[in-house]
Amino acid sequence: MRIKPGRAGSVQIVFDAAEVELLRDVPEQLRLLYEAPGDDPARSRLFPRAYLDPTEEKAEQQWQAAVHPELVRERLEGLDRLLGALADAEVKSRRVKVSLTADDVGVWLTVLNDARLAFGSRLGISDDTDVFRFAPDDPLALEMAAYAWLTTLQGGLVETLLGSMPG
Amino acid sequence: MSRMRAVASTAPVEVEEPIVGEVTVTDKPWIVIVWNDPVNLMSYVVLVLQKLFGYSREKATKLMLQVHHEGRAMVSDGTREKCEADVARLHAHGLWATMEHPS
Repeated sequence: MRIKPGRAGSVQIVFDAAEVELLRDVPEQLRLLYEAPGDDPARSRLFPRAYLDPTEEKAEQQWQAAVHPELVRERLEGLDRLLGALADAEVKSRRVKVSLTADDVGVWLTVLNDARLAFGSRLGISDDTDVFRFAPDDPLALEMAAYAWLTTLQGGLVETLLGSMPG
Repeated sequence: MSRMRAVASTAPVEVEEPIVGEVTVTDKPWIVIVWNDPVNLMSYVVLVLQKLFGYSREKATKLMLQVHHEGRAMVSDGTREKCEADVARLHAHGLWATMEHPS
């Protein structure tokens, strides 16, 4: 992938077709996770509690009831916007060129971050994990490579937005 | 937090004291805490703190480093309602945030 910063936080990203396949898979996986019932560590990380204090349980329940549907709705909308940008991409042989406004980049960042949180939780990522170095015979090698690739994409997009913002 | 390779990071800044906002009410305000997490990129946390709270790059970086080194940092304060809204915005961006009332 190649990220080319444009004006005012906009970017053009040129993906290889295989990378787009990986990216296209993300929204479907996240959608299942957002809407899955029951306890799941990845889901708990995406939708944490607001109150840690057990005596605030009533406030926690009220807060969850008030904000959770909106937090899910915004996330689902983010998935649609990422898929929409991929659908609008310019395809030339194996190169796929995606154009994003600064606002799109903000949406992509939340989707990519959710994907990394979800996969990171499943892969058991810790502060000591070097995602760019893993044994090729590790059964999780492919997922780890996908996680590392998403990290590179997210990091690159963060840098373009930070570069376009006032210090 | 995770540090990106091949991405310029700001040099660590000495964190002298927690940054406390202005308090205009006599009652103690609620505070919003962001917790360390092995997945969120340091640069992304800076970006979110700037975007949500309008903090300068310097202040956002200082708070991010406090989260990274101390495990948590207070990022905002105010009434219960304001803190509940801040926590929801932080969760929408994938940051691990909670709120508490200092006794």
